[in-house]
Amino acid sequence: MADQRDVVIIGGGHNGLVTAFCLAKAGRKPLVLERRPQVGGAAITEEFHPGFRCSTLSHSAGPLLPQVVRDMQLEKHGLKLIAPEIGMTALSPDGRALALHNDPQKAAQSISAFSQKDAAKYGEFQQSLTKLGKVLSKALAMIPPNIDDPSKADLWSMLETARGVRNLGKKDMYRLLRWGPMAVADLVGEFFETELLRAVVAARGIFGTFLGPWSAGSSLVLLLRAAGDAHPAGSAFFAEGGSGAITQAMAAAAQQAGAEIRTGVEVIEVRVKNGAATGVVLSNGEEINAKAIVSNADPKRTLLKLVDPTHLSPDFVTKLQHYRMPGTVAKVNLALSGLPEFTALNGLDANALAGRIHIGPEIDYLERAFDESKYGNFSKQPYLEVAIPSISDPSLAPENRHVMSIYMQYAPYKLKDGGWDKQRVPLGDTVVKTLAQYAPNLPELIVSHQIITPQDLEDTYGLTHGHIFHGELALDQFFTMRPLLDWARYRTPIENLYLCGSGTHPGVGLTGGSGANAAREILKKR
Amino acid sequence: MPSNTKYDVIVIGGGHNGLVNAAYLARAGKKVLVLERRYVLGGAACTEEVFPGFKFSVCSYVVSLLRPEIIRDLDLPRHGLEILPLDGTFTPMPNGDYLWRVNDHGKTHREIARHSKLDAEAYDEFGKAMQAMCRFVKPILGMVPPDPATLNPKELMKLLFVGRRFQAMNSYDKYNQVQLMTMSAIDFLDQWFETDVLKATMSASGIIGTFLGVRSPGTAYVLLHHYMGEIDGAFRSWGFARGGTGAISNAIADAAREAGVEIRTQSGISQIIIKNGKAKGVVLANGDEIYADVISSSIDPRQTFIKLMEKGHLPDEFIEEVNRYKFRGSSGKVNLALDALPNFKAMPGPGAHLRGAISISPSVEYMERAYDDAKYGNFSRRPYIDMVIPTLTDPSVAPPGKHILSCFVQYAPYKLRPGLDWDSQKEVFGNTVIDTIAEHAPNIKDIILHKQVVTPLDLEREWGLSEGNIFQGELSLEQLFFLRPVPGYAAFRTPIKNLYMCGSATHPGGGIMGGPGRLAALEILKDHKGAA
Repeated sequence: MADQRDVVIIGGGHNGLVTAFCLAKAGRKPLVLERRPQVGGAAITEEFHPGFRCSTLSHSAGPLLPQVVRDMQLEKHGLKLIAPEIGMTALSPDGRALALHNDPQKAAQSISAFSQKDAAKYGEFQQSLTKLGKVLSKALAMIPPNIDDPSKADLWSMLETARGVRNLGKKDMYRLLRWGPMAVADLVGEFFETELLRAVVAARGIFGTFLGPWSAGSSLVLLLRAAGDAHPAGSAFFAEGGSGAITQAMAAAAQQAGAEIRTGVEVIEVRVKNGAATGVVLSNGEEINAKAIVSNADPKRTLLKLVDPTHLSPDFVTKLQHYRMPGTVAKVNLALSGLPEFTALNGLDANALAGRIHIGPEIDYLERAFDESKYGNFSKQPYLEVAIPSISDPSLAPENRHVMSIYMQYAPYKLKDGGWDKQRVPLGDTVVKTLAQYAPNLPELIVSHQIITPQDLEDTYGLTHGHIFHGELALDQFFTMRPLLDWARYRTPIENLYLCGSGTHPGVGLTGGSGANAAREILKKR
Repeated sequence: MPSNTKYDVIVIGGGHNGLVNAAYLARAGKKVLVLERRYVLGGAACTEEVFPGFKFSVCSYVVSLLRPEIIRDLDLPRHGLEILPLDGTFTPMPNGDYLWRVNDHGKTHREIARHSKLDAEAYDEFGKAMQAMCRFVKPILGMVPPDPATLNPKELMKLLFVGRRFQAMNSYDKYNQVQLMTMSAIDFLDQWFETDVLKATMSASGIIGTFLGVRSPGTAYVLLHHYMGEIDGAFRSWGFARGGTGAISNAIADAAREAGVEIRTQSGISQIIIKNGKAKGVVLANGDEIYADVISSSIDPRQTFIKLMEKGHLPDEFIEEVNRYKFRGSSGKVNLALDALPNFKAMPGPGAHLRGAISISPSVEYMERAYDDAKYGNFSRRPYIDMVIPTLTDPSVAPPGKHILSCFVQYAPYKLRPGLDWDSQKEVFGNTVIDTIAEHAPNIKDIILHKQVVTPLDLEREWGLSEGNIFQGELSLEQLFFLRPVPGYAAFRTPIKNLYMCGSATHPGGGIMGGPGRLAALEILKDHKGAA
């Protein structure tokens, strides 16, 4: 006889945990089933070399939605956020560095060493992003309306958003309309003349996507990310103890609210009877029945793998197969015997290394890195985002030693020649070689490394095709179309089966937005 | 010296839009003068005898988008317009195979099935889906763009109209429409087809005249823009004008003259006269001044607002927007006078395949690599080429037995990388095009009698198209509809009273469509009702 539960949540990533918390808080009895030995999905901390711990995948803590942090009382559950004063430092191979402080005035000061004009423009850009971000974050917190048959509540929330847009005033309203479909290279070109500044801001529009800075629509990605953090290049938020600390606090909050969490249990099938989900089957053969099933896994994994496709219309299956999620990011984690010396940071404050470090000095550099991936090769001169979290959080490494966390782009999931097993080591070498151009002593400091390819992201962490956002952030996969038009409201064609992961609206990284929205929608139906 | 005659309207530029604009205004009773800088009318829609006996459609070479209401209203066939059908697209491949699509449904079905049975089925479905999309977009093309920032209820009704039309589609069409508006041509086509060459050659229409690649989001829409071609009510048909593309402009000019329009060629203007924020007239290059109540400019915004206007008349913000408006020409033209027909390896000898378009677009990667070259300021080492041999359909444009090969070439970026300039690269560019053709039709080099190379710089210098953009500004999402050319000024009006825009830089945009010229005329007539 199968175990009977109220709600089963497949996957204990951050969104799954947020959903679990919200449902438990409302009196439901969710059971979270996590395949790996620990919850957290892509927000985890692991010891990859004795004594060295690192955010295995995502190293930035969101920014999490403020209401998620508040409602879940994450700080009470042990979360301590670190926000280095210099959120982003961009390095140039000619030995110059551009340190972008969170304080816009200080940032402008650093920029003025490159261009007075850009220093002035930076503030204007940030102001515009702040205004647009306010409107956008409303839309992000909204459950996408049913566009075929909008309810009164839908119409009301659409009206509210429309009002927000109109209240922007003519100039910013046109900016919102014009910027969305633009190439981010054009956008930064309109504001700035310093190539390094252009590149570091543009990078925000391409991170995690199969877009180059010259791809139209990359500005939208920048806008979406700016909705949570209006600093043009983004600020830095790290969790003390690595990103795993975020999800550990979330798990604690969810459990306290009444959710149950089981790790090391893999769901291999969602049982469907007469068009409705009735329960799940685990890899050990165990069956759990539930009134509602919520999947934190991506839409393809959920509906094309866990559900027998015969329960879905061929048209739906075809559309979902075409949902675009080509992974482009690889991750390299290094255990270091000391702090690398960056040529560009000679005279600079050591603080400049505490935030995020951008490698990709020119728009063309970033575009060329993208070009290679279009033809199935990883970039030989990649775009890198580096963090050395042990600077502000010494608990991550033995004394005077450090960990370095590197996002590498572009690493296309589908390689032209051979599989990722053969390319894993060359990828790691490329990353180290690229970094050594900026920090020549880096190679000597490496004690150990961990290389995570898009294939690993899929195999080990369950991200289909290694896509870190559970699907491209593009105009045609956004809002009422995420993941598919008509299916953006966290429901699926299978009754009682819901989605709550990043493959649903708003789905922009570690914010908790999708999980919170999904819970609201699930609670509507009793 | 001021001239004595005063006109109701002066139209700057005698391109097809300027002429359409003039004709509609004159038919409403206005006294109209058209001023054209060149010796020949038509702008980029012109026919010129570049070499004795060979009449080249120098720039624009095929027609399909010309609005049917314009053909009707101006009675163009009576004024000599005759469109001859262009049948099919032939795409030779380097492996000796080819893809040859024609208007005959059965033939095309069999041909595509030779490459993929699934694609042959999907092709029909695709055509139906695209027609549904066209039905949604067409009324929008014929509409004056509303201003979303306004509170004017009339404008908001227009927005509502668009919203309702969208709402009225079934969910399948909505889904396609949204994708079409936002996706890349290849992402969109990937959903339908598996044959690489089919996707490559179809995606080509998505990039024409833009500085985008087939994988750039937003190109799917341009695909539709080209699918909307309509001749005699049949969607997706392309054709030649008998006598070359200039014959279209000449027919419109003829209709305009009949309605009373005065047209002067070789009358470039050097300035628009503005007094107290109102446009009053123009100064010709020779110093003559001509006055009118309304000035309607069919040339692009950079020429109109930056080149022809003294500083200080326009708000800074407007100037900023005009400067930001993207041109970035990306294409060139090579026109060849031939002694004989080219002989394609993939299908040797003469035949019907030469009567349609011949597309050098053998693979998606080929198309994308052509774009990659351009991004860094080089013309494509192996460009996308769309060729036609108009002499097979209309022998009147060349001496007996001789032929013309008209080649549209992309990418040829206006801005070459530092160290290169178009004057020195023109010859190299022409040779690259011929070498590319020679890979498919090896006899080409032996049959060339004359060669004319038109670079983006030539398009700017000779035809006044800023940065050589054939659409007077890129057709990218952020430059369409109420954002074209400048947000807040998409309704053909400008910050200067009595100065209007009527060229391709306004909605609905480029191609020999005539839409902007007609819509602008209707707007001018709204503001200036009294007949002369």
